[in-house]
Amino acid sequence: MVLAALALAAAAAVAPDLEVAVQPSTGRLSVQMAVGRELPDEWTQALAAGAPVSITYRLRLYRNRRLFWDLRLASHELVVKAQRDPLTGVFSLVSEMNREILASGEADSLEEAIFWVTHPPSAELALPIRHEPLWLFVRAEFLTRYKLLVIPSTEGTSWVQKAVPESP
Amino acid sequence: MSDWRRRWQRYRRQNRVLVGLYVGLLLLTAAGFALFNRLSGLPPEELTNRLLIFLLWWFDLTLIAIVGFIILRNLLRLALERRFGFLGARFRTKLLLSYVVLSLAPTVVLFMLGASLLSKAAASWFAAPVEGMVAASVQLAEGVRQLAEARTARAAEVVARRLVEIGDEAGRVAELERLHTLLGNHLTMLYRNGVQVVELVDPRQRPMLRLPPLEDAALRSSGLRGERYAGTVVVRAWQVLPDGGVVVVGEVLPTAMIKAQGRLATSSAAYERLKLERPTITATAVLGFGGLALLVAFAAIWLGLYLSRRFTAPLLALAATARRVAEGDSLEEVPLPAEDEVGLLVDSFNAMARRLHGREEELEAAVRRLRTVLSAIRTGVLTLDAARQTVLANPAAAALLGTPELVDTPQLLEVLAVAFPRLVDTIRTSPSGFRGSLTLYPPGAARHVEVAVVALGTAEHVEGWVVALEDLTQLLRAQRQAAWSEAARRIAHQIKNPLTPIRLAAERIARQCERRSPELPAIVEQGCAAIVEHVLSMQEMVDAFARYAKFPAISRRPVRVGDLVRQLIALYAGVRPDLRIDARDDADNREVLLDPEQIRQALANLVDNAVEASPAGSVVTVRVAWEHDDVVFVVEDEGPGLPVEDPELLFQPFFSTKGRGSGVGLALVQRIASDHGGTVRLEPGRERGVRAVVRIPGVQR
Repeated sequence: MVLAALALAAAAAVAPDLEVAVQPSTGRLSVQMAVGRELPDEWTQALAAGAPVSITYRLRLYRNRRLFWDLRLASHELVVKAQRDPLTGVFSLVSEMNREILASGEADSLEEAIFWVTHPPSAELALPIRHEPLWLFVRAEFLTRYKLLVIPSTEGTSWVQKAVPESP
Repeated sequence: MSDWRRRWQRYRRQNRVLVGLYVGLLLLTAAGFALFNRLSGLPPEELTNRLLIFLLWWFDLTLIAIVGFIILRNLLRLALERRFGFLGARFRTKLLLSYVVLSLAPTVVLFMLGASLLSKAAASWFAAPVEGMVAASVQLAEGVRQLAEARTARAAEVVARRLVEIGDEAGRVAELERLHTLLGNHLTMLYRNGVQVVELVDPRQRPMLRLPPLEDAALRSSGLRGERYAGTVVVRAWQVLPDGGVVVVGEVLPTAMIKAQGRLATSSAAYERLKLERPTITATAVLGFGGLALLVAFAAIWLGLYLSRRFTAPLLALAATARRVAEGDSLEEVPLPAEDEVGLLVDSFNAMARRLHGREEELEAAVRRLRTVLSAIRTGVLTLDAARQTVLANPAAAALLGTPELVDTPQLLEVLAVAFPRLVDTIRTSPSGFRGSLTLYPPGAARHVEVAVVALGTAEHVEGWVVALEDLTQLLRAQRQAAWSEAARRIAHQIKNPLTPIRLAAERIARQCERRSPELPAIVEQGCAAIVEHVLSMQEMVDAFARYAKFPAISRRPVRVGDLVRQLIALYAGVRPDLRIDARDDADNREVLLDPEQIRQALANLVDNAVEASPAGSVVTVRVAWEHDDVVFVVEDEGPGLPVEDPELLFQPFFSTKGRGSGVGLALVQRIASDHGGTVRLEPGRERGVRAVVRIPGVQR
């Protein structure tokens, strides 16, 4: 029993907020993301009540320059929006990559809609020609909170760092 | 100073420039931030929120920086002013701290209360009743749709069950029409092999006329769908028949109800959106309120500083003027308008200044008069400070001493010490009231000067000293010439008196010799006796002259003056049996430095005169006593009194009222007293007789 609890605690401790899988191809990098944590209650309630909500996935590509600070090469934003039509009960889902629609869909239930937004379609990033290792930093942002009433603080996952593998 | 620097100094003081810079910077920063965020592709609402929050933050931080800068600058400035002892720094520090505390403390408390109230108010907007209404509206819309779906699905199921029971096609169509009417369907359709074979539409439901058909994929199994169409919601349910046919039943929800539900849903969604943005709204309100509080604090502090400057300016000007006056500047008026109590104070100060100006002018006039007098008189006057270190002279004193530089500027007394050491020593050591004679040796000839030293102020607090130098050289010379003339006249008189009898005696002897008178021997004897008598008288007179001329210098030694008087009186015992000579000693057995021989001689001369003048049975009293710091000898008789109107004549050498004697007795007494630094005077006795008083400054051992 104790061992099981410890195992669960360890699993919970190591379970990442955001799972990121990268797959390089020639000149491109396919990034598949999945949020592994519960979404904030107010986000879920707002979606269920028909308010437009979104999750913003921020993807930043850095060049590791060893002796200098890492140089940011590119910054991308994948926004997954969801809104429920209270009259028809259908969830409209749209995924936009850098303000361009990447995918859209509909879901008949809240669970389906949440799964859709927490498992967005894979993002395709252009990879620059490089001579140094590249780092990919990814984060999902849900909403903005305020500390001490006035200090803005974005609630989301922590930044996930992934080494970009060499293209085949 | 360069032109650009002068311009900057001028513009720097203009608030308009500062405010313009601030607003311009604010606009530029806001525009830059907005552009940056727009380029980042934020939605308009998010951009507005972020811009608003940013501006409020910018505004608040700027105000905090300004208020903090003002407070710190003034505190630092006041701390430095206090450290370097600037006038009014302590008063302004108290004022500034009072204003800061009085303005900041209520503002901070008000801001905290306001922020708490705003936060609670924002929470109350999303209270349970509102939440319930919003949830109910969502449930209502959901329920209406579900009811329509259930009704449509059941109708499709009923129609499908009846069609299964009817075998022929015509009967199925007839049954479809009957059920369409009976069930009140808005749409009833029959598909066979994907082809629509029957379509029954309620003509009142116009949206059904243009409703696009269901796709083939959806028709492969029974289903249900609600969708928005033509401003309303259309619900379609379909049932697949065993023979592959599909029955579709549809219903159009009332447009008015759908519109109402749509508005309800929109409001509900907006509410949820608002709820999601509640922290942002709260932050905006709190930041805005904070900005207002900071504005109030800024205004209060600025006003406080302005008022403190305005209040303290006249006081500081007043204090600065008073300090300048205390440091030696002339008293001046404070040029400030008089309005309030401070103005009254300034007015009073100015009135006092004017009055003191008048007094000062009067004083200056008096000083000018005094200087004129001092420059006009022939008596030399030296003025010294309380320590007798510096000296200033009037023209007569400067001329007397041969030091003209003493007239204009005070000099150290030391500069006179080389040429006039005795004078400087007298000035330094003499007590107030001292009078004495000195012989000075300025360039040229010796000057006989009478010196008087007087202290200014009181005995406890001496403010300065005045030394008067009376040049007696001319006077003494004149007096000496007069004295010599008088002495010559009296000597001639004294010599002439015996010469006449001598001449007469000699002539008588010569005449008797010519006659060969038998009485010649007797006459010669008588004549020679007279001649010898008068020659002896002349000899006595010449001896007296010699004594007076060759009077020795005094030789002081400690003497008990009481003993001295007693010894003297003892010598007169039995001189005149009909006379009593009393001695009275009030000297408390003290010793005095004086020449006892000379004093004894002087007292003997006085007692001789008293004894000679006293009638039988009278008393001659010799008394010695202390008066202040002087020893006083008094010889008093009960004789006929002073023989002349002016007693001073009696002290002149060779002056005698007795018709005998040399006339130098009292002159010697005066000389002895003078050589001891003292005086002698003759005055009438209390009842009769003469009272001779010899006062010798007491140089005690």
